Amino acid sequence: MGFRDVLSPYTAWKHVIRTPVTIKDPIGREAADTYRGFHQNDLDKCIGCGSCEVICQNAAIDMVPVSDPVDGDSGLRPKIDYGRCCWCALCVDVCMTGSLTMSNEYTWVDSDPDAFRFIPGVDAKPWDHLEKGYQREGGRVLTGNERAGMGELAPEARADNFDEIVAGYTREQALIEADRCVECGLCVATCPAHMDIPDYIAAIREGDYDLGTQILYETNPFSEVCGRVCTHKCETACAARHEGDPIAIRWLKRHIIDNVSEDRRLEIVGIPGVASSGHRVAVIGAGPAGLTAAYDLARQGHAVTVYEAQDKSGGMMRYGIPEYRLPYDALDRDIAVIEAQGVEIRTGTRIGRDISMDTLKAENDAVVLAIGLHMGRSTRIPGAQGEGVEAAIDLLRRITAGEAVQVPKRVVVIGGGNVAMDIARSMARLQKREHGQVGVTVTALESFAHFLADEEEVTESFEEGIEILDARGPQEVVRFKSGKNKGKVKGLRTWAVTSIFDDKGRFAPQYDRADEQVHPGEMVIEAIGQAADVSILGPELTEALEWTRGRIAIAPDGRTSEPWLWAAGDAVHGPDVITAVADGHRVAHSVHEMLLAGTEAKR
Amino acid sequence: MRKKALENLTTVEEVLETVAEFDREAHSFYTDLIPKISKSIRYIVEELARARLDQVRMMSDLAKNPDVKSHFRDAIQRPAADRQFSDAIHAPDLGDNPDDQAVLQYALARVQIAIEEYSELAANTPPGLLHEVFSFLANEEVKHKSELEALYYDIVHSGGV
Repeated sequence: MGFRDVLSPYTAWKHVIRTPVTIKDPIGREAADTYRGFHQNDLDKCIGCGSCEVICQNAAIDMVPVSDPVDGDSGLRPKIDYGRCCWCALCVDVCMTGSLTMSNEYTWVDSDPDAFRFIPGVDAKPWDHLEKGYQREGGRVLTGNERAGMGELAPEARADNFDEIVAGYTREQALIEADRCVECGLCVATCPAHMDIPDYIAAIREGDYDLGTQILYETNPFSEVCGRVCTHKCETACAARHEGDPIAIRWLKRHIIDNVSEDRRLEIVGIPGVASSGHRVAVIGAGPAGLTAAYDLARQGHAVTVYEAQDKSGGMMRYGIPEYRLPYDALDRDIAVIEAQGVEIRTGTRIGRDISMDTLKAENDAVVLAIGLHMGRSTRIPGAQGEGVEAAIDLLRRITAGEAVQVPKRVVVIGGGNVAMDIARSMARLQKREHGQVGVTVTALESFAHFLADEEEVTESFEEGIEILDARGPQEVVRFKSGKNKGKVKGLRTWAVTSIFDDKGRFAPQYDRADEQVHPGEMVIEAIGQAADVSILGPELTEALEWTRGRIAIAPDGRTSEPWLWAAGDAVHGPDVITAVADGHRVAHSVHEMLLAGTEAKR
Repeated sequence: MRKKALENLTTVEEVLETVAEFDREAHSFYTDLIPKISKSIRYIVEELARARLDQVRMMSDLAKNPDVKSHFRDAIQRPAADRQFSDAIHAPDLGDNPDDQAVLQYALARVQIAIEEYSELAANTPPGLLHEVFSFLANEEVKHKSELEALYYDIVHSGGV
């Protein structure tokens, strides 16, 4: 030890007489206006996407449950540990809704060390309502706000044909779009089939389309279809929609499947790797629910036969959706993978005509009813019965089947949903081919603000020259009373609708009778609703089954009151492809469990 | 002139009896219909029959009420809608197996006639007990119509729209 070492402790004493450089008591001294202090969270804006948690480099944020999850809101909120927080504000910069901010308060004294981990917005703090502090500038800074565009046919190029309108993403477009996803996963909970969306979007970023396909098939054998016509509920829950366009999840799904050949798909998906179970299952209806159930059951080793009344399989996907939205060959590619699992599809086979329900019951261990909604409803207004008035759903089927369809120069459509747009646009194309011009008028009860059809359907219909009149209530199909056209349709008489629902939200249309119009047309097409053709069940089974307000009563797993019969799809849950896919999985699981239990019991 | 005016008058007792008959017939019509229609839509007719039975009971209680009874002989203007109302007592033939839409359209038409009849009766009676009774009946039918219209929308305008 040297002399300096002996004296050094005493040298510190010289600082006693210096002016301190730190603040003796910082409490009460305001920080700069944009200082990054304690967090604030606007709970009305926060959706619990967890982007803040993911980006935090210090693991200072945990997402914790504070309420029940709902579509588009996980119910989780960030809890911040100030022992770890470095006040970098990346969490604020990445916040998808702008709910997370930082006050300029930076001092806080508490004797409880656990108090320094709290949930901003939930655990009340003195700085909750301070306006000064750090908020990101210039909107979201880490991801883009706008959806990557996609090529599509111009209105004049698609007006007289049924060619697919959208082109699908290029690799470059898909990458830009995939990069906008923050992988929060809110979409997964909202998707009826719970598709693993963040992971398949990540696969696009990696350029691994085989992996993407594998992920798609884990939850959905209809990626060609859903990549085009899915109702994309996932996009309504997407965190990105809060400050811009939601991620184009539907188009990204299609991009994956566009990049994998049919042969490669079969290699990736494979064929059933299990031994035959010895069980037989009949599925009635080759739509999305029936074929999904068939796919799952076949992969579990059961012998599945699907009975389809129409000449081709696909159900409403083929006979209800026009080819410009869903090309038949895309649908066929999805169905080919299902058939490759050993599923036998007997088309042109109507239950009750070609084979009875009793036979199906006797020859199978289980029967799945997935009959869809193939009967069009009629307004039954005066004049609606007779020649010149068509059901949209029937006309769409005939167009798909290539049957002869009358194409008058002027057509009036009743309805404001997607089916109304589908038939209006299909007829417009046929008119353009046959007469060189479009003459379609759509009359809808709803005002444009409450339209049932998708916005893009309405926009594209306008682009294609279709006249859409909102808030018009049909009163009569007007027919010629005399002359050579006596009895033929002359047009549709409507009144203006002043309101559709009463103050309790119940259907109670009110009309302005003084505002009457007759829309000229030689054909009136009704697109107001659909029903299931349950007559195939026959009177005895109809009587034996339990019903819930017009629909077959089912347990949550899809089983009916008859132990051998399950029901799924549009007929029990309303029209929606992805919901039908989810339904197909559900009943397949239930049927498989039942068959498995039966096998176990026999051992 | 005086004879014509008298022809347009009726008594409260007669009106209430016509109303009771209207509901009894409706209840009987719906009850007879139940076994004829598919089980899948039977709930509609069962609910209609129940609603009419409730109405029959209410009318029966009303007729027994001493205050109402004291007005039985009162003269009242015969409503213009009366003929339609009386006609509706004779139920139509909806066929062997009517569908849900046909049943609901019939029920809606019938309830509309009742609304018009009760509203006119209420308008033809001075403020007081009878006015309140007819206003109440009209109001009940309006509520019933709202429920039927909501059901009609659910059934006919659902699925694929």
